[in-house]
Amino acid sequence: MLQVQQVSKYFDQRRSVDGIDFEMQRGEIVGFLGPNGAGKTTTMRMITGYLKPTSGQIWIDGLPMHEPSRKARTKIGYLPETPPLYPDMTVNSYLRFVADLRDVPARQQKLRISEMIDRLGLQGRERQIIRSLSKGYKQRLGLAQAIIHQPDLLILDEPTSGLDPNQILEIRQLIRELGEQHTVLLSTHILPEVSTLCNRVLIINDGRIVMDGNANQLDQSLNEKFQVLLEVKTRPDKLRRLLDNWQNVSTEYLSSTEEEQQVQSIQLRLQGADDTDFRERLSLLLADARVPILELRKERLSLEDVFVKLTTDNDPSESINSTDAGPTVISSGAESVKEDQADVETVPLEPAKTDRSKTTDGEIPATTHNKEDDAK
Amino acid sequence: MRRMWAICSKELQSYFLSPTSYFAIAVYVLLSSIMFYVSFVVYQPSILDYRLILGDTLFMLLVVIPLLTMRLMSEELRQGTDELLLTSPVTATEIVIGKYLASLGLLVVLVLCNLIYPLVMSFFGPMNLPLLWLSVLGVFLMGAAMMAVGLFASSLSQHQMVSAVIGFVLLLVLWLMDSFLANSPSSSLQQWLTPFSLSGRITNLIKGVLHGPDILYYITLAALFLILSIQVVERKRWR
Repeated sequence: MLQVQQVSKYFDQRRSVDGIDFEMQRGEIVGFLGPNGAGKTTTMRMITGYLKPTSGQIWIDGLPMHEPSRKARTKIGYLPETPPLYPDMTVNSYLRFVADLRDVPARQQKLRISEMIDRLGLQGRERQIIRSLSKGYKQRLGLAQAIIHQPDLLILDEPTSGLDPNQILEIRQLIRELGEQHTVLLSTHILPEVSTLCNRVLIINDGRIVMDGNANQLDQSLNEKFQVLLEVKTRPDKLRRLLDNWQNVSTEYLSSTEEEQQVQSIQLRLQGADDTDFRERLSLLLADARVPILELRKERLSLEDVFVKLTTDNDPSESINSTDAGPTVISSGAESVKEDQADVETVPLEPAKTDRSKTTDGEIPATTHNKEDDAK
Repeated sequence: MRRMWAICSKELQSYFLSPTSYFAIAVYVLLSSIMFYVSFVVYQPSILDYRLILGDTLFMLLVVIPLLTMRLMSEELRQGTDELLLTSPVTATEIVIGKYLASLGLLVVLVLCNLIYPLVMSFFGPMNLPLLWLSVLGVFLMGAAMMAVGLFASSLSQHQMVSAVIGFVLLLVLWLMDSFLANSPSSSLQQWLTPFSLSGRITNLIKGVLHGPDILYYITLAALFLILSIQVVERKRWR
């Protein structure tokens, strides 16, 4: 359906996209992820023929898009980041205009327009001036514009940005329905969207594809060591005696353990040497020592973690803590923030961990620098 | 073809919805009617001749036409709707010609507004009709050439005011081509430039002579700037 071969794009001397290479099969919904400024929009603009690649080739259903080709453009539907609407037109006349542009046969136009209006919930607004539509309706009209000619390939650039949660759910449902008939490539920086919508994920960073795979496989491939989060109620010194040097499992205290003699709730992260599950043995060990478990949870790498790992240049094992704290595009959970605070607190206490924390601290400027680059 | 008409009718629609075009036409009509009043009612010429008035009003096109064309491409670039146009199966030629046809439609309105003066004159005695239609055709041809220049200016910037100023300056340069070097010693250069001047071509028009080379000049000028506009639109992809 879509072949992107070694495509690069330079703006003056600045490299925006650098030798991207991927294929899409008919019927796939592919999520295109990346931090701001990674080259998502540029790539999509090249696929839709709005920009010409500096080098490389793009084929849509065997038709070249890297050359001026009218035929290839009939096969795509495109919703840019801001829906391309004429504020002075009415919904109806806009759709008729687009149908004319997109070569919808005159006889089918009426039917197709009313179908779009039904499907996108625009009933009762046919005669409304586009300027007066709300943002959600504008987005829907933008989507109608992209699918009115029933394209084979649908390119959606951040289709849910700026919508309220209800509208986001509606648009997602719509995209899911569209995915049954069309091939969809959608860019986003909202990660849950990808896990709910897409059967494949492409992660792009700094103009290069850093990951291409199934959303569920992604975390498995990066999650090499078994990790659990544990919360127990006991005295810190007792817990230390139990867990230090226990079966090659390393511990990391996430809450304050200053008052060694006092019973308190303690949070910690345990990491095994490999991916074997040690939860059973751990719970038995704690039960034997009569240490009550408040919480025991297997820690999975979320798509967020994968994203952060792949889009920062740091060593993956170190990057989580140093980047999660920043105001990244990722909606980091409250947990990870807590972890960071805890991390700072444990620095003076944990001699073994000091080295690591120092490295983490040392990397913060580098990461910040990275983000500035992305912003540009 | 249908795509071109779709663009043309969309542009015509927005012409009749936008306050700018009404304003520009209104200013044109207001000023030209003042001139008509001065030269016809105040001076009371001994002959009934539309050409006398026509010559006075033509220079106003220098201002009115950039105002009418500034929106054509700039608005698309600013609204981001060029992404719709350039990713649909429409060619750059269809976009430019479609928009140009719409601007010609507006020019027809403008020329028709001008016809009210000969109409008023005709109440005072017989008019030389062939001469009248000839000068109307002349005005239309010149306006059409100027519209193409304005359209080209509009494709250069996403800011309407910048486009209008570029259009005005381009037209002014074309208009004054022959008088630039009026006082310079190199009269050969001036002679060489004179055929390219818009205002130079008007003298024939005002005389009521529709000269073959003049027609050719207007058509060539329009075609040249349309081709340039198509190139600019096509270039957007090469950024």
